[in-house]
Amino acid sequence: MNNLFVIFFSMALVNNMILAKFLGLCPFFGVSKKTKSAVSMGLAVLLVMLVASAVTWPIYYYILVPYGVEVMKTVIFILVIASLVQIIEMAIKRTNLTLYNALGIYLPLITTNCAVLGITFINVDQTYTFLESVFAAAGAGSGFLLVLLIMSGIRERLELSDTPIAFKGTPIAFITAMLLGLSFLAFQGMV
Amino acid sequence: MNTTLTVVVLSSIGFFSGLMIYVVSKVLPKEDKSLAEAARIKEFLPGADCGACGHPGCFAYAQAVAHDKQVFAKTPCPVLSQDKDGMKRLEDYLGLKAEAGVGKKAVVHCTGGSHAIADYIGVQTCAAAVQLASGFNECPYSCIGLGDCVRVCPTGAMSIDQEKHVAVVDWETCIGCGLCVAACPQGLTELIPADTPQYLACNYQVKRDIPGRKRCPDGCIHCHICEKVSLEGAVTWDEKKDLPIFHVDQIDTAIEKCPRHVIRKTAAYEEKEEAVGSVQETN
Repeated sequence: MNNLFVIFFSMALVNNMILAKFLGLCPFFGVSKKTKSAVSMGLAVLLVMLVASAVTWPIYYYILVPYGVEVMKTVIFILVIASLVQIIEMAIKRTNLTLYNALGIYLPLITTNCAVLGITFINVDQTYTFLESVFAAAGAGSGFLLVLLIMSGIRERLELSDTPIAFKGTPIAFITAMLLGLSFLAFQGMV
Repeated sequence: MNTTLTVVVLSSIGFFSGLMIYVVSKVLPKEDKSLAEAARIKEFLPGADCGACGHPGCFAYAQAVAHDKQVFAKTPCPVLSQDKDGMKRLEDYLGLKAEAGVGKKAVVHCTGGSHAIADYIGVQTCAAAVQLASGFNECPYSCIGLGDCVRVCPTGAMSIDQEKHVAVVDWETCIGCGLCVAACPQGLTELIPADTPQYLACNYQVKRDIPGRKRCPDGCIHCHICEKVSLEGAVTWDEKKDLPIFHVDQIDTAIEKCPRHVIRKTAAYEEKEEAVGSVQETN
């Protein structure tokens, strides 16, 4: 049990998807202008990561490994995650419209998001068990949500502050991301 | 490793995924019909997402109308009702007539007569400036003029008068959504019925007086003269703020008698003037 929490926190903070592994940088800059959309995007990523990890683990260990076709994992994981996101989107749209309005438009965006594909590969590389994979995905998703939330909060304030004209918009966002990455560096060596 | 095996595994997983999507789409309950209808109705709406109709955004309003058409008849989209052609297109589509309400418009209760008594170099928003000693103007109730209302206005009806540093509303484009009312940290913007001919351009509340800070030369001095010279009920007094409230009646005498000339005419006043003028001409 202790092990699971270590995995969760190491994926959320120490090996943060965005700031330590540099995965999922496109939504990090693309959807971090407003806090509301950043939270929706983060939640959608968290959800898809959880389901993707839970589905790709049995496929890898019960189909790919016995037949000796592990090399195919990239294309098969992409295929499985893409169809999975389609199913999730359809299910949310038909059952809960409020949730669909909040998450719906972000779900197709992350069908083959590198952070989502990345967590499934990390699970395989680290030879996690099923439960460990799910906790790793939950940690990675929460870390993603956390960083997106922090970034959007900072960027909302940056809009109003007096930045030099040359730095306005994306350049200052890159600098902010650098400082944020440095501050997350302090978590290194904790786990 | 066997090539055939690779092909078989990949295609079977692909086939299975496709099958799952098909099965799930059959098993799940059918898509709500009103959703497609709402999407069609939304095409007619202006898409300002301002919330003036009381629904959180245009799509939510379209959904409400799709469920019950009477929603549109009773509370037509205030943005669309500015545009007669667009209004007629949606009326034709729904097959009913909408009740044309008077609507509401925003006013700013400040003339901008108060001058700055300090240099402000902080975050350039009204909300931030007000937190610092009630703003940098002599009058603690005055318009800060950093444009929080301009930023939230969906139609660009709000602007800042660069000379006097006060927000002004263009009634032609104002849709009465009330976003500026929520945005103003001084509480200066207010929605009034669109046929009100005048408003008080001051918000100086003597009952909440701040020592050492004075009203501007234009500010209301709470003399009650507008109440005295007007007809019964045309002007009521807000005891809490110690300021007069004007209603739909036109109060020309009060506008003239006001010692500070702080009662401002709205676009509705000019319309009424013209109407009177044209009647006289035909006579």
